[in-house]
Amino acid sequence: MTYKSQRIAYLFFATSMLLLSLQIVYGFIMAFAHMGYDVLHTVVPFNAARATHTNLLVVWLLSGFMGAAYFIIPEEAERELWSPKLAVVQWAALVVVGVIAIVGFHFNWWEGRKFLEIPRPLDYLVVVDVLAFLLNIGMTAFKGKRLHTTGMVLFVGLFAAALLYLPGVITFENQVRDSYFRWWVVHLWVEGVWELILGSMLSYLLIKLTGIDREVIEKWLYVIVGLTFLSGILGTGHHYYFIGTPKYWLAIGGIFSALEPLSFLGMALYGVTMARRGGRNHPNKMALTWTVGCAIMSFVGAGFLGFAHTIPQVNKWTHGTLVTAMHGHLAFWGAYGMIVLAMIAYAMPKLTGRKRYSGWVPEWAFWTSNLGMLGMTGAFAVAGISQVYLERKVGMDFLVVQKALQVHFLGLVLAASLFTIGIVLYIVNFIGYGLPRAELGDASEDADDDNLVPAAAE
Amino acid sequence: MLSKSQAKLFFLAGTAVFSMAFLALTVDSLAQVPGRSNEAAMTPAVVRGKMIWDRNNCMGCHTLLGEGAYYAPELTRVYTRRGPEWMRAFLKDPNGMFPGERRMVAYKFSDQEIADLIEFFQWIGNVDTNGFPFKPDLAPPAPAAPVGGSRLASAPSTYKTLCNACHSIEGQGGKVGPALDDLRGRYDAVTLDKWLSDPQAVKPGTAMPNLKLSPEVRKELVGWLLPTK
Ligand code: HEC
Ligand code: HEC
Ligand code: HEM
Ligand code: HEM
Ligand SMILES: [Fe+2]
Repeated sequence: MTYKSQRIAYLFFATSMLLLSLQIVYGFIMAFAHMGYDVLHTVVPFNAARATHTNLLVVWLLSGFMGAAYFIIPEEAERELWSPKLAVVQWAALVVVGVIAIVGFHFNWWEGRKFLEIPRPLDYLVVVDVLAFLLNIGMTAFKGKRLHTTGMVLFVGLFAAALLYLPGVITFENQVRDSYFRWWVVHLWVEGVWELILGSMLSYLLIKLTGIDREVIEKWLYVIVGLTFLSGILGTGHHYYFIGTPKYWLAIGGIFSALEPLSFLGMALYGVTMARRGGRNHPNKMALTWTVGCAIMSFVGAGFLGFAHTIPQVNKWTHGTLVTAMHGHLAFWGAYGMIVLAMIAYAMPKLTGRKRYSGWVPEWAFWTSNLGMLGMTGAFAVAGISQVYLERKVGMDFLVVQKALQVHFLGLVLAASLFTIGIVLYIVNFIGYGLPRAELGDASEDADDDNLVPAAAE
Repeated sequence: MLSKSQAKLFFLAGTAVFSMAFLALTVDSLAQVPGRSNEAAMTPAVVRGKMIWDRNNCMGCHTLLGEGAYYAPELTRVYTRRGPEWMRAFLKDPNGMFPGERRMVAYKFSDQEIADLIEFFQWIGNVDTNGFPFKPDLAPPAPAAPVGGSRLASAPSTYKTLCNACHSIEGQGGKVGPALDDLRGRYDAVTLDKWLSDPQAVKPGTAMPNLKLSPEVRKELVGWLLPTK
């Protein structure tokens, strides 16, 4: 760690770990309900479990992004954070708002808009909190000696994400318009501006871990995020096929969303090539494994599995079935879950001065969580395809079909258990790092891990 | 080869062009929404129904327009699939209609709220969704209408509005319960009446709901289901 104030990142990373654990608990509640054991129905009905599961997901990812920004931006701007105090207040506020929202869900206090269930008054608090965060990293960047491209793309991504949250705080009486603008948040986040955050974090990690020249990495970063917006903005149309919007979206959404995997393919190629080409032998192998793993899995989950149901001729049958859940899991995990875990794996040795990146615990954490998630994807895929066939193609009754699918949720629970073992190992390792140490600022003995001879690359 | 500044230009120009295109299409789409969603039919009751839908996060179990959760039935066309009478009975006691099945939240809606929800579902059922949900293309072909006119035409109204959502006669109707073509021989008037008044008492654990029918309505149904010749 080069700057003392980077320590703030730890608060956000620890919060992420806690929320991820809770998210998994709620995932199991839903998986059991799908199996026919809705034993908690009267206390936590399915809709409460689901809202909690997905909102915890969004908040642990955002918390991870914020921690990453507090870690990266000082380095990219080459100065201490503008206001460490504001950062702590902003963290505390995020936690308080999060806790109120999650508790509220259990008492029927929410809005019925998928992924945006947080009730309106809390929405405003979220906005204020995010503004404080943006102000802090913005001022740091502005007052810094310079801001490298990576830092700038990260800032623009976070800023645009905050801006795009606003269509989510408007009330619409017409369900069609409501749905139209819900996608401005949900789609333009995950298939738009969040990819800027992903791309810049990926670049930062590749620069640090492989030693490849910044100019080369950042050139490709522009190409990748360029492809993202080229396809992803009009790609929003793949959610406008069947919600009451005009027919031309079938063509526009179909064509442009079919191009979206290109930017994920770009990221996968970029990650793998840079890691291969980099001459440096960075000791933190696990951070590189997570980084490259993220680049590959985001292509599989978002690019490949997204493509699998994005063409209107396919989507007309799969729209709103468990096939969507299959894609949702691997895409969120591969792209955003893994980049946060990669960042944490890279940052923790820097923050604490301890080198817990070798041995079986961090390795098994990576492999079991990823195999588990692939297994879960498989279980959702079989359940989803069976559902599409029996309910949508043959026309059997919904509840009859769901009975037939129960066995696949046993498969889901088994795979999810494997996944959970991986996450537990990761968290055990995280806790083992202990708290960040202030005296590491500036002259830390491991700071030079990153500064071995940079490899040449064109 | 491509330079960094060219790459940056590609990003900036691409983003600008496609954002503008998206905004233009949005303006056009929103202009078409009132027509395609039949906004003129959005009465205050429909809006109230939508707010009930939102406030309770029904989307956390169901899908509507194909969006939401995958735990409970898709509801865009529920109005035509089940009909208002059936929905009224269902929403009055959401756990009574499918005993022993996956549970919905046991909402205690007032008659007014139920009426609003039904209006909302009727409105959304008429939104032009480009065909969604699609007709099952591998379903067994519906039997041809019987010669000499359908028996359904002569059914009591309770049968048409309630039973028909779950049962079929001559291949027409719902598919939750068995077809009711051949009850004669297996039921007499007394057992059938008992079945309709309290299915659980006759067959504990059965999935047939207790629809709390009055004796007069039961008599009419039994008479029609078990014709004397
Ligand atoms: C906890 C999950 C859950 C929530 C929340 C929920 N439902 Fe349901 N709903 C179900 C299930 C499951 C069924 C299938 C029938 C059954 O098993 O009772 C169902 C069935 C229905 C049906 C009949 C559909 C059919 O075709 O048979 C309607 C109408 C309905 N729900 C409306 C609503 C409305 C309106 C709300 C919100 C006020 C709502 N539901 C909230 C779980 C839920
Ligand atoms: C929510 C769906 C539902 C509704 C509404 C419904 N039923 Fe049923 N019914 C069922 C199911 C499911 C069964 C099968 C029960 C079993 O086998 O345990 C059944 C069984 C029956 C049977 C016995 C069939 C046999 O072959 O033994 C009769 C008769 C019957 N229903 C009549 C009616 C009548 C008349 C109505 C309208 C007043 C009605 N049902 C409404 C679901 C429904
Ligand atoms: C990291 C990036 C991505 C993430 C996190 C992600 C996640 C999700 C989620 C959670 C949903 C469900 C949304 C809802 O119903 O509210 C969804 C839907 C969908 N996604 Fe993605 N996705 C990503 C990228 C992609 C890409 C690149 C494609 C296309 C190539 C794609 C195609 C689709 C389609 C077609 C749907 C709609 C499914 C339906 O009709 O039910 N996604 N995605
Ligand atoms: C490990 C245990 C997990 C289990 C058992 C689990 C199970 C489930 C279930 C049953 C659903 C609801 C599907 C429905 O509506 O019927 C769901 C939704 C969802 N989960 Fe998980 N999950 C787990 C972990 C995760 C993780 C780690 C992520 C992200 C990285 C995730 C992301 C999501 C998303 C995005 C949705 C919404 C999907 C959609 O709307 O299409 N889950 N999960
Ligand atoms: Fe999308």
